[in-house]
Amino acid sequence: MIAVENLEKTYRRGDGTPVMALKNVSFTIGEGEFVTVRGASGSGKSSLLNILGCLDTPTSGVYRLAGEDVSNYTDEQRSHLRCRRIGFVFQSFNLLSRTTALENVEVPALYSGERIEEGKAAALLERVGLAERGGHFVTELSGGEQQRVAIARALMNDPPLLLADEPTGNLDSEAGHSIMELLGELSNEGRTIILVTHDEAVAEFAQRELIIRDGLIASDTLRTAKPPASEKTGS
Amino acid sequence: MKLGQTISLALRTLIRNPLRSFLMMLGVAIGIASLTAMASIGEATQQETIRQFKRMVGTYDLVSIVPGAASTRGMPSLTTVEPSLKFDDATAIAEEADGVLQVAEVQNAFDIDVKYRDKTTVSAVYGVSANWLEMREYFLETGDVITQDDIASLARIAVIGQDIVTGLFPDEDPMGKQIRIGNVPFAVKGILVSRGAGPGGGSLDGVLFIPVTTASKRLFQRDYLTTITAQLSDPGRPGPSIESITTILRERHGIVPPGEDDFTISDSRASAEQVEEVSSTLATILTGVAIIAMIIGGTVIMSLMLIAVSERRREIGVRRAVGATRTDVMLQFLIEAATVSVVGGLLGITLGIGGATITAMQQELPPVLLWDTIGFAVCVSVGIGLIFGLQPAWKAANIDPIDALQS
Repeated sequence: MIAVENLEKTYRRGDGTPVMALKNVSFTIGEGEFVTVRGASGSGKSSLLNILGCLDTPTSGVYRLAGEDVSNYTDEQRSHLRCRRIGFVFQSFNLLSRTTALENVEVPALYSGERIEEGKAAALLERVGLAERGGHFVTELSGGEQQRVAIARALMNDPPLLLADEPTGNLDSEAGHSIMELLGELSNEGRTIILVTHDEAVAEFAQRELIIRDGLIASDTLRTAKPPASEKTGS
Repeated sequence: MKLGQTISLALRTLIRNPLRSFLMMLGVAIGIASLTAMASIGEATQQETIRQFKRMVGTYDLVSIVPGAASTRGMPSLTTVEPSLKFDDATAIAEEADGVLQVAEVQNAFDIDVKYRDKTTVSAVYGVSANWLEMREYFLETGDVITQDDIASLARIAVIGQDIVTGLFPDEDPMGKQIRIGNVPFAVKGILVSRGAGPGGGSLDGVLFIPVTTASKRLFQRDYLTTITAQLSDPGRPGPSIESITTILRERHGIVPPGEDDFTISDSRASAEQVEEVSSTLATILTGVAIIAMIIGGTVIMSLMLIAVSERRREIGVRRAVGATRTDVMLQFLIEAATVSVVGGLLGITLGIGGATITAMQQELPPVLLWDTIGFAVCVSVGIGLIFGLQPAWKAANIDPIDALQS
């Protein structure tokens, strides 16, 4: 699903000094894997996620998404990839205000160039347990509910890859736990999930953990413990 | 992203941000209202000026031939008119000139004493052929026009303007009464409808018409005409007819090159065009004012849109993250601006027409509803939205989604 080789990312600070956020990073992630990327703030995990999510391009190295070298894709090409292949879940939910839950879920479909499937958004809301909340404005929803809407939105165009950036960071532990269970279920359905966190407890839901430190992969561990809700492992 | 979806998204955004949308619309509405009102008032003024001008000089399809070379041209009077234009010249033009429908003969003089009993007034007296009143669009209030029989019989009858009525007949009906023009008695045969004031403010009603033959033989004792008026069949192209008339008159008057014409042909369209030019200058100035108002409206849209773009950075980031291209974001903001601008424009057109109608009523101008102005105003409002929305939309499209999502 994902293969990165010798990935490097260099930023320039305001005064012009270069900062290497990623140094020679290589790994592969198979289809259906649930991987957490853990690291302290400033470790380079956000830079990695932005590149994996096609929001950013690497300074050097190769990023293959489903076998396709997307390292040097144009802004427009990357937009199309994000639309079809990648679903995002953010720490702060990033739902559109003054917009209903259902309309939020439909947003990605606007950009897919296809007709919005009748009832799909409602079905997705049902899938995340919010069947009755579609007509509510996001301000009327709890944090946990908002994150569920965000997950439903990420699934709207049926992407094979979900990228989650601290999805439980703004939630209490109970809501956080149920979100992780939901992600576990999605992983069991065959979706590839990459979750960035600094929280060790969250990492326990995944089968594999990458630890990143100072822009380098410090460790790559397969876990034996399975997420509580899972019945079978991903491929 | 499809256009229909973009428009409905724009409408939804606008409805859910009512205050901002209202302020943007107001900016455009004021601009468009002034454009519509100014253009309508300008057009009404222009039409009114032209109407008055036509009433003064006659209709567009007439050319006047007066005696004397162009250099000595002036208003004809009893003492200075050259006796070069004869009745036969008029007949010849009517029969031979190209593109001439009919010819009217005029022998006139100004400042003639007109008396009724003990009252005296001063009037311009026009001896005219029977077709004159109709050609020049004079209408009768009562009585009859000058007929061919009146011309043939040298009848002593007169058709009088409203100023003569008020001057001589303050308390009685003038019809059939005997007035004295110079010292010749005439019977009042008809009374003209008032033509009001000319563009200069002077009255157009101080006129008196008598048969041209009577004027020639019984009143002025002159065998020449002061004006021949020819009605053209193709007023849009007076050139060939004017040439033809010139040739006929030069031949009849025995003028050979390099001799100058002893007559002057004036095409009233030329002076009408000047009037039109003056009043269209007015319309241009008014439109200029309106355009400035619209630039202000556009600036309002632009500043509110720029604020909106900053406020909606996160929304832009989300849309970009879920697959919107720069073009999608740009179009979204452009269409929002255009939509708000069109709605504001329609509001402005309504206000503008209302304002123009009220002004027209106060100024006693004919109200003018200009469909092309309305069409223009709609296009202008779409244009304002697109032009002034461009920069904010460009800014929105170039927001880095990573930054926007972190904000």
